[in-house]
Amino acid sequence: MSLSAKQAVIGILGFLFLLSLVFVQYTEVTRRRAEAGIGEVHVIVPDSSKACVDCHVQSTPAIIDHWKSSNHATTGVGCYECHLADPKDADSFDHYGKSIATIVTPRDCARCHQQVFDEFEASHHAAAGNILASLDNFLAETVEGARMPFAPHSPTPGDSVDMVNGGASVAVGCMQCHGSKVAIEGTDGSLITMDELAPDENGQPTNLDAVAKILRTDDGRPVFHASTWPNTGIGRLNLDGSAGSCSACHSRHDFSPRRARQPENCGKCHLGPDHPQKEIYEESKHGVAYRDLKDEMNLNGKEWVLGEDYSQAPTCATCHMSGHMRNGGKVTHDPGERISWTNRPPISLRMDTDINGAVIKEKDPAVRRELVADTWQAKRQRMKDVCSHCHTSTYLNGFYKQYDDFVVLYNEKFAKPGTMIMDALKTNGLITAKQFDEEIEWTWFYLWHHEGRRARHGASMMAPDYAHWHGMYEVAERFYQELIPQAREHADHAEEEGETEAANAVRKVIDDILARPEHAWFENE
Amino acid sequence: MGVLVRWIQERVPITGDELRELTNEPVPNHLKRWWFCLGGTPAYLFVVQIVTGILLAFYYQASPETAYESVRYITEEASFGWFVRSLHKWAATLMVASVILHQLRVYFTGAYRKPREINWMIGMCLLVCTLTVGFTGYSLVYEQLSFWGATVGANIADGVPVVGGLAKQLLLAGEEYNDRTLSRFFLLHAAVLPTLMVILIAVHVTLIRLQGVTEFVDEKHPEKDRGSFNFFPDHLYTELIMGLVIMILLTTLSTILPATMGPPADPLTTPEVIKPEWFFYVAFRWLKLFSGTAAILSLGFIVFTMFVWPFIDAFLEKRWPRSEASVWIGIVGTLLIIGLTLWEAAVEH
Amino acid sequence: MSDERPPEETDSGRRGLMTGSLMAAGLLTSYGAAGAIGARYLFPSGPGKRAWLFVARADELADGASVSYRSPSGQRVAIARQGLSGKVEDFVALSSTCPHLGCQVHWEAVNARFFCPCHNGTFDPAGLPTGGPPKEANQALPQFPLKIESGLLYIEVPVETLGGATAMQLDDTPPSPGAGHDPCLGPDCCGGELA
Repeated sequence: MSLSAKQAVIGILGFLFLLSLVFVQYTEVTRRRAEAGIGEVHVIVPDSSKACVDCHVQSTPAIIDHWKSSNHATTGVGCYECHLADPKDADSFDHYGKSIATIVTPRDCARCHQQVFDEFEASHHAAAGNILASLDNFLAETVEGARMPFAPHSPTPGDSVDMVNGGASVAVGCMQCHGSKVAIEGTDGSLITMDELAPDENGQPTNLDAVAKILRTDDGRPVFHASTWPNTGIGRLNLDGSAGSCSACHSRHDFSPRRARQPENCGKCHLGPDHPQKEIYEESKHGVAYRDLKDEMNLNGKEWVLGEDYSQAPTCATCHMSGHMRNGGKVTHDPGERISWTNRPPISLRMDTDINGAVIKEKDPAVRRELVADTWQAKRQRMKDVCSHCHTSTYLNGFYKQYDDFVVLYNEKFAKPGTMIMDALKTNGLITAKQFDEEIEWTWFYLWHHEGRRARHGASMMAPDYAHWHGMYEVAERFYQELIPQAREHADHAEEEGETEAANAVRKVIDDILARPEHAWFENE
Repeated sequence: MGVLVRWIQERVPITGDELRELTNEPVPNHLKRWWFCLGGTPAYLFVVQIVTGILLAFYYQASPETAYESVRYITEEASFGWFVRSLHKWAATLMVASVILHQLRVYFTGAYRKPREINWMIGMCLLVCTLTVGFTGYSLVYEQLSFWGATVGANIADGVPVVGGLAKQLLLAGEEYNDRTLSRFFLLHAAVLPTLMVILIAVHVTLIRLQGVTEFVDEKHPEKDRGSFNFFPDHLYTELIMGLVIMILLTTLSTILPATMGPPADPLTTPEVIKPEWFFYVAFRWLKLFSGTAAILSLGFIVFTMFVWPFIDAFLEKRWPRSEASVWIGIVGTLLIIGLTLWEAAVEH
Repeated sequence: MSDERPPEETDSGRRGLMTGSLMAAGLLTSYGAAGAIGARYLFPSGPGKRAWLFVARADELADGASVSYRSPSGQRVAIARQGLSGKVEDFVALSSTCPHLGCQVHWEAVNARFFCPCHNGTFDPAGLPTGGPPKEANQALPQFPLKIESGLLYIEVPVETLGGATAMQLDDTPPSPGAGHDPCLGPDCCGGELA
């Protein structure tokens, strides 16, 4: 190769080298552009909470670990931002120089999440703690437990038991889902709840005498009544007057939205023989699809809008709370907004609600019209807005006809007749006023509270087995093979006691029911 | 221009002619063949390594707590950091490859024969240095394989009789990998070995200049001088072309197959598969074929043989003239090396 | 390759100049570009790590009031509200780093001013220079960016400190010796000094 040829080759190779470096520059620019979109997410301990973290990373390391995976940890919301308490709050105490409270109530979360707080407080979830006068409560407090502590039968080997806490079943059972009424022990042995403290609209107690009675430990901490705390029931009645617990669904301390989107989260409470929503969902096609495609449903996403971020299957959250394409992706923390039947009572009611969100039980149509603030049709339409992402309106209308027919069948064939029979027994004095002391009361309870509810829930969420074999079949069996015979037995017994008129009154109610065409099969040839 | 030259010559007493005389050695014509440029290639790559290595050292931190993070910073955050690191990685591979190819060329052309035995041994030292600098370099990333490779390597060194224990302790700054090991590797890699190599290269090139490049002797016409050409500018242009080709190759490789990062070192978890860099595959496989001391001693013996090969070859030549025994031995040796390397590459254990 | 060619070849003038220039151009541009890449590499790739951190609910700060916020790196920032429009422009976050030579200023309540002890620089409550070297150079206190999202006030501050004391270190915190031992109970109680 001649010299000049070599020079030329060098020149050309030089430019090729330069070209490859241009490609390097291009790669660098692309890399930076890609990087700019993915900001790295770092855990940042805000200055206010540094001391908390320094100590608690040794004493309760898992709490710090959980918090680190929360969104709070990347935006500078640390321990103190949530646990800070005004020294005037009933449960505040000084902890290494900072005024904090152990329990973080929805009012505390509302400092940043005001709108969610408003929606939640208006919802039925927040009212879950108000079961004190209910049948369920009586069952747990009196039938399963005792209203007063009582002396043990005999010593417990290896332990010394002074008195038996009759409220243990309530505290561990009902209250853990429904929410306890948080109580602090008083220096005089009384219990101090929000009733005694009378908090104002800022959550601070107005009754300072009650505050003065708060029993505290040596380092100033209020002593919580053990039966009421720990508790994250969704309707917990807090000392600051707010109702509920955000951590019921958004478990602390990672407050994971991902978890709240999954049916297992709701399933902590919405399961069991009396309202098996979790099992029903798992049986339904929705649940089958979810189980299969869960990993593709973008559960970790910042946004979770049906139709945009996922569409494989609905979860509890999807239908009852989450945002979707037809409502601008807006989440509601009031699941009641989309429910058109309430299947909780013995006889299902249409969810016409008044200005306070309470179901209207008024029968007169004119009065109803006056009271209604949100109709059941409007609620159903909100639900249909979700369904219609996957289902056409013919499909939806057909489904709702099937559902409505089912609920009405239950109402008319079993619920109303059963109610009439029980009322007749009560008004005629054939059963005592006390609940659950006679077998028929348990029978009726099973029929509407367990089997009847299962049937209706199964129909509402497309679980045929729960609607039928675990549902209506058992309702029917309970009705024909237990309720009717037991009621007749009471009548026979009353007659033997000489209460012929009462007995006959009840017998007439039963006979009238069984004479109806839908029951005629039972006794006709 | 003349003023400047005069100013310099008053202070640096050498004339242009003398300079030309010193540097413009006649290059035998057979060096126009590219196969013969394999000596300059590793030298050029060595310069590339020094430049990229210094750049990397601006950001690298040789402490177990921060090493991995500093390499990650270079790879993911520093402007063109990924490029500088990838260049360094690929140039290392190419440097080892070209050193081996150069040695093969020297071997098969018999250029190690008298009077050039010393230069061969210097070259062997350079080979060992190059392999060591490659080994220590990878340990600095502090990935899983970095840590475990270093541990295994030190333990193999430990297997050498008599001096093994001392060697391992010197390498690891202790009985096992500890907080001071990494900085020791860094110093070896970035200061001690490069300095040694510069000295060795200087001696290597000086010896070549003093002795002249080995002439090819045509057997049929032994008296014919095949001629020579100028170093400047002719051979320089050849070297420049080589340099540019290498840069293009390196840049392409760095962009298409950039250096990545494996999982960070975990002293408590040994990965399923530990392998050294590719250029150690042959030794690794050899050590696995035999056990313990026998393996290390045999390996040492082979390396020693390579060191003193010029003298063995001289003996073979005297004993069986014109048998070209060294060529056949060389072919067998090369095939063996390739075979063992491929074998190790193909299997997990 | 032929070796009949004489060892030295003279290039004809113009062709030699052209190929020579081509060679020079190729070498200079390519290696020059490589050098430029190396130089760019040595410059820091971007500003240090910053993040948006929560300060308070926007309506918690009254007009004219200010709050002293401490960033994770320990820097004190004075955040004040100076308007009631409800937008982020109402708020200002003043750094405590003096623009003269980087010392930390502090707030002198009695003189209602920020004071820098290094060279007696002073600033008014809005961060504007009122005396000392900053006034001569007309340098105000630097400000941190603020934003309001969903009614909450956020500030953008550096989160790195020397020695890598971001909370990222938390990810690698080794288990304390004797895990399970609660230092807050028993004889290791710090008596509140960790506050």
